[in-house]
Order: sequence, then structure tokens, then C-alpha cells
Amino acid sequence: MSTLSALAHVQAMESMRAVPLTEFRHRRLSSRPLVIIPLAMAGEAGAPLAAMVGTARRNGTLLVVAQPRNRDQRFAFAAGLGRIVMEYINSFRQDRSGEGERSRYTDTPQILVPNPGGVRTLADLGRMCRFRATTGPYAVPEVVPELGMWLTFLVDRAEQAGSSVLLPVTGMLAEHWATGQSTLENQNLASLMAWIAPPPGLSVEQAMADAENPDVCPPAGPSTSPEFDNRDLAPAIRNFDEASALGDPQALADAESDLRELIAGQIQPTWRMVWQAISLLRSVPEAPRAAKRFESDCRAFTAYSDYQDTGALPQRKRDTAIGAARRLGQLEHALAEFEADMAFDDRFVLADRRSAGEAFAGTVVEAEPGRMVTTDKNSRVPRPLVTVLTEDPLRLAADTKLISPSMPTGHKAKVVSVRRVGGTTRVTVEITGGMGRARVPKQGTVPELGQYVAYLPDPGWRPSPQFPASDATPWTHSAPDGNDTESAVPENTAAEEWGNED
Amino acid sequence: MKAPVDGRLAALRGSGKRLDYNARSLAALENNPRCTLRALLDASGSNKAAIAAHVGHPPAFGQSVFAITRGNAFEAMVKDNGCAELLRVLRETLELTLPEVAYEDLNDVGGNGRSDKRYERTEEVLLRAARGDGEGTLFDHPMLRLLIGGHPAYLEPDLVAFRIDGRFHVMEIKSFPIIDGQADPTQVRAATTQACAYIIALRDLLGRAGIGAEAVSDTIVLVAPKDFTNRPTAAFVDARKQVAALTRQLSRIERIGELVDLLPDDLTFDLYLDEDEQPRRPPEELAETLDQVLKTYRPDCLNHCEMAFYCRSRARAEASLDVLGPVVREQFGGIDTTTMVMGLARGELKPSEDQVEMAAALRHAARLRAELEDLGGAA
Repeated sequence: MSTLSALAHVQAMESMRAVPLTEFRHRRLSSRPLVIIPLAMAGEAGAPLAAMVGTARRNGTLLVVAQPRNRDQRFAFAAGLGRIVMEYINSFRQDRSGEGERSRYTDTPQILVPNPGGVRTLADLGRMCRFRATTGPYAVPEVVPELGMWLTFLVDRAEQAGSSVLLPVTGMLAEHWATGQSTLENQNLASLMAWIAPPPGLSVEQAMADAENPDVCPPAGPSTSPEFDNRDLAPAIRNFDEASALGDPQALADAESDLRELIAGQIQPTWRMVWQAISLLRSVPEAPRAAKRFESDCRAFTAYSDYQDTGALPQRKRDTAIGAARRLGQLEHALAEFEADMAFDDRFVLADRRSAGEAFAGTVVEAEPGRMVTTDKNSRVPRPLVTVLTEDPLRLAADTKLISPSMPTGHKAKVVSVRRVGGTTRVTVEITGGMGRARVPKQGTVPELGQYVAYLPDPGWRPSPQFPASDATPWTHSAPDGNDTESAVPENTAAEEWGNED
Repeated sequence: MKAPVDGRLAALRGSGKRLDYNARSLAALENNPRCTLRALLDASGSNKAAIAAHVGHPPAFGQSVFAITRGNAFEAMVKDNGCAELLRVLRETLELTLPEVAYEDLNDVGGNGRSDKRYERTEEVLLRAARGDGEGTLFDHPMLRLLIGGHPAYLEPDLVAFRIDGRFHVMEIKSFPIIDGQADPTQVRAATTQACAYIIALRDLLGRAGIGAEAVSDTIVLVAPKDFTNRPTAAFVDARKQVAALTRQLSRIERIGELVDLLPDDLTFDLYLDEDEQPRRPPEELAETLDQVLKTYRPDCLNHCEMAFYCRSRARAEASLDVLGPVVREQFGGIDTTTMVMGLARGELKPSEDQVEMAAALRHAARLRAELEDLGGAA
């Protein structure tokens, strides 16, 4: 965190209202996102209790597992959720543009959950479902493993910085607004919303107090509040169990509708709040470069969709050494790109980087626009020098490659020297690119005396790393002979239990 | 020296029943060792939950009946039939070659469930085993004793195994899942902290009989459900670092006397309970007392300390940067309040000598922010 962002949090705390951290929303918001609010049963290993799901505030579907410990009911739930999610995803697998290699879908699904816990719950659900067999002794409907594979794809993709296929709403809000509370409390959707948009007639203080009171604001999941569990849910589930043991259809229907009503009471406040947050986020303009990242999401979505169309295998439990290295490289690269993109688009983010000493801005006080150098290939090229006077606490070393949001596209430079004089710094940079092909730089491509310029480090282009083929992996990096490390699909797929009957 | 301190601690607690350290207070100790209020309340065995509730900030540490049921059911299943499932896991998953296994239940002694009696029995049984003339290999719910600040705290590990590589191993049975070989790191950490206290207590027990620390392994055995099933799996968790950390923090508590000495003589956290265990002390007076003691609030406290909501309300009232958490706080080393930060940022306060650099960074940040929009953040 930079001094600037930290200061924003202090300002929020002092003024008791949220303070904007960015000028733009750097995440794309689909015109038709699918909101999922998953609830899980406390203590069980990812036992779903309920989910509310839908593409508009007015058409949420509530799915409830009356007895979360019952295996058949869990699968009925997974199939029910799967049908809704797959119908949604499939609606994006229609329109394609481009030919051959470049052919891709023009839009991607976007799933929004209330908080990071929601992402983890979907990850668990994906892991539970993707290996299920559709034939044999423990057969499940076909949509179950399909849902599992797609959820796993979305969760994996969501780890990539800048992607918008699966996002927690709290994360999007906290990216744009600084609050006067900690990161931990910001993960509570109601607390976060209390700062940004307290309910009408309530002060931020009152809204914060309400947000932590489970009777006023039920938790946004995945866990329900322990008081609710003990006071309401446990007796209701017991009623349901008794009714199903008695085999009385009327009692069973009553018990089931009681349960639904109870859970609806817990989940609907969050549902409304998520949609409120979405409309708040819509009011923030989208960053220009979000379109570029959306392109990348479209490519990934198309690639995975095509793989599914040709009979996909479920994602493996653990990455191979090469797969992990490749993925890590991609994630790092995406993060560096995302950070540079944000600073490029957004004055706030640029200021943030400046306050951290990772970027600088100031006026040109010296310029040598006509400077030429001879390259290794013996050609004469323009390499103008300019010196920028800045008050920013710069921490960039000589030879750092730079890009500039205040110069025309393609402008490239590198740091030649940094001299501190009193409270100011004089940075001399050499312009290395974006000046056209002629021997004289094009008009406007070299900063002039008195011009205000901003620079930040160039994340650069990185070649994708080369790895050996999987049969040529050295023994140090190949998987040990183990039970299920060899193949992607564990042998005991069908038999793997998902909870017990009792 | 000890006696007067004990007397003072008893007076701090007052009329209430003395509470021992438990998993949560040990976690609080590990996570926030520097908090004086927590140290005093825990060392005196005060009822933090009751105190916090009385001053209007009840803790929110309810436990769901589902979690409790599941936890108990899982532990019972693992231990069924003389730990048959557990042995299968130890042999198959951890590939241990266990000799003949004998199982000893230390849950109660001849129907006597008192901690001190159970502790004596545990001591006798474990020492016999360590000297090589006992039968047991697995000891169910032994009762251990850890001296914290000179006071015995009774601790009850789920299971202690003997003769895994010739050493005692503490086992923790937890109901959070290990999915594809990975478990939630915060939960593993909490389980490890708990187990560390058992390791230290066990070493203490053996140490007093002249048996070296190496008799107890630094590696704990975590037994938890495999993936999404009810079947257990197990993993070794290296607890060396946490054992060292907890040992260091426990040695600090030995000096609780120094903290007590700083308090006014008549200070007490007593709730003045009546016959029905209802507090009679005016809440304002109790709050005033609490305010006299130094506390170190961190947002993380909300996860493990009963006093956290109270401390947070105080930190908010004082405009303390603690409210925002360590990430923000670190940016302003040496500055404690938002008032000070804003004063320096606006150039209204004159920085002290060690604040000069920070003040310059703040004024710079404030200028940038002011350039972005008129927030009143800059001079």
C-alpha cells in the first residue's frame, strides 16, 4: 500500500464516509451478470445449504437443500444449480466472430458472488462435482460434472489479475472505495456498503453497527450465523427429518416450506444488497483498458468452451510441475500488465504509484531534442534527452524502461540518471521509441520544455517461457508414483463419496 | 514474589470463577502477545466474555450446533473400536510402521473427571510409557498441565501417540477437510497453535521426571476428513516455529508481575456477581477501569479475543490508526492517530524530529490527492 492509499483510508475514517480510490471501475461489468449467493452448512466439508441465483434482481431462484447431510439431496441441488448456471453459460456460446484461429465468442459469462468466501465455496463445489460419473453405481445427472468443470474453469480464471469472469462484489467495491475500516471488515458486504451507501436515514456508524448484527443483516455467507443455526435452522431441519421419517406428505411439504422461508429470510437481504452494489458500481465509468482485458477473457472462454465441445476431461487435482510453472508465469505477467494498465488509465492509480515512488510526473526543465546516437548496427537514430523536475519520492534505478500515459501511444523511454536536489528530484530520461521511423522525431513525440509529463515502469513484453515436453521432464520435476497423481481422473471417481447418508 | 502477584491477580478477577486458558485465549496470546489488557485478563482468569458483554460489547463467538455435532461425530468415528480408523490412516497414509498398539482412555479416572486427578493419572501413565514399562501406544484425552504465569492451566489434547519413531506425537483431530492434500491455512494454523501448547505441556511433564525435550516430537499429526467424505486422512505438520514462538511468549507471561505492578492498587475487573451470577457493578465504572489499562487493538483480534468489539470501539473513539489494520498503520510508522496524520498532511502540525520524513511523504500524498479532487485533504 502506498502513502496515498493509506491517507485515503485515514480521510475516510476522519470524515466517516467512503473516499474514492480510483477514477474508473477497472473491472468490466456485464450487462447480464449471474449473481450467485451460496450458503453452506457450518462444520461440514462444503455441504451446500442453499443458493440464490439469477441474472436480475427481480428473478432470483432460491435453491434449498432441506437436509444438507443427505447425499441425494446434495446432488439434486448441484443438478438444479447446474441447470441454471449452464443455461446461462450456454447463452454465451452462440455468437462468434472472426475466422479460423481468430474465431471467438463475442461475450463471456460473468458470475458475481458477495465475497471471497463465495468464490471459495464455488471452488469447492466445482471440485466436488467435476469428477462425478454419470454412469455406474453412484451416477449423477450429466449437468453435475459439467457444472463442476465450468466452475473450476471460472475459479482458475478468476485468479488472473484483471479478469472479470468471476468476481466477489466486496473486492470490486474495495478496489474503488477506501473505507475507514480494516481489510478484514471490508470483506463483510454489509459493513462495506455501510460506508459507501448507508441505508436512507442511517448514519455510517448506525449502518456499521447494523451490519454486524446478524438479526438485522444476516451474514452474506457462505456460513450462516451460529445464532440462526441454533435457534431456527436446527429445529427446522429436525422437523423436516421427522416428517420424512413419518412419511407424511403434508407434514413434509410444510416442513420444507418452513425451511425455505427461513433460508429466504437469511439470503434475501444479501441478494438485494448485491444488486444495490452492482448498480452503484455501474455508476462508476469503466476504465478504457478494461476492453482489452475483456478480449483476453473472451479468448480464454472460447478456448475452454471449444475444449468442452470436444469432450473435456475434468481439470486435474494438482497441477503438474510444468503446468504450475506455466500458470505462475501467466499470473505474474497478467498482474504486472493489470497494474500498468490501471496506472495508465487512471489518474488516481498513477498518483498512488507516484506516492509509492514507482512512478513520477513533473515538468520538463531541460531538453536535448536533437540528440542522435549510433546503434550497434551503425545507424544513426534520434535519442532525445529530457530532464523532468519532480517532487515525487522516486525509487527507480537507472536503465528502468518507462512508458507514459501523457504521451502518444508507443512512447518509450528509459531512466538515465536520478539526482536529488533538496526536496525535488531531477530525472533525466532518454526517449527510445514512439518517434516514428524518420531521422527526425515526429511532431509531439518528444516532451518539450515546460511540458508536464508522467512516467511509469514498462511491464514489458515477455516471451512465453519454454518448458520441456512432459515425457522429457527431468526426474526432479516429475510426479512421484502415487495413487492418483498420474492421471487427471482419479480411479475411484465413481465411488468417491460426497458425504454420508447419516 | 509469586504470592503477592497471585494475590493481585486474584483481586483483579474478584468474585468470578477462575477461567483457564483455552484454545481461543492461546490463539490470542500467540497473535497479540503485546496487549496488556488481554494479558492481565487471561492471567487473572477473568471472564472476558462476561466483562465485554457488561460494558455493552458482547463477543460474537457463537458456535453453530452443526459444527459442534460434526466435530464430535468425526472424532468419535476416528476413535471408534480402539481407534481402528485412525490406525488405518497412520499405517496407510502416513506409512508408519506401528508396533502392537494398545489404547488407553484417560478421559476419566474411576468416574472422577476432576482435572487434577486426571492429570495425576496422565502423568503416571505417560511416565511409565516413556520409561518403557507401559502398555499404551495411544492415549485418549490425556490431561496435561501448562504453567502459564505460574498458574496451572489444564489442557486436553485429543490424542497423544507414543512410539511413532520412538517419540511422543501430539495428534489433533479436526473436522475441517483436507481437500486434495490441502487444508485452509488459517484453520491449520489455529490447530497447530493449540497443539503447540500440548507439546510444551507434555515436555514440561516429562522434563520434571528428567526426560529430555527430544522425547516429544515437534511434528504434529493432523487428522481430518479427506476431501468431502467422512473418512479421515492425516498429515504431518511441522510445528517447530510455532512451538518456539509460543515458548517465548509464555516466558514473557512469567513477568506478568511487572505489568501488575504498574496498575493502581485498587484496580479490579470484578463484576461483583450476586447469588444469581448477575453482575452488580455499574458498567460505566467497569469501563473506566478497563480504560486505565493499555490495550493493543488489531482488527485480527475480532477473530479470537472476546474483548475485541470493546477495544475497537475505544480505538475508534480515540481515532487510533489501529482501526485500519496493520497494512495502513505500517505506512505511518510512529504516528498513532488519524488526527495526527491529517494534521501533518495538511501542514497544520509541526512534525517532531523523527516525523520529518513521514511528514514530507504525507504532504506530498496530500498534494497529489488534492490535485485529484478537492477533498480538503491538503493545505
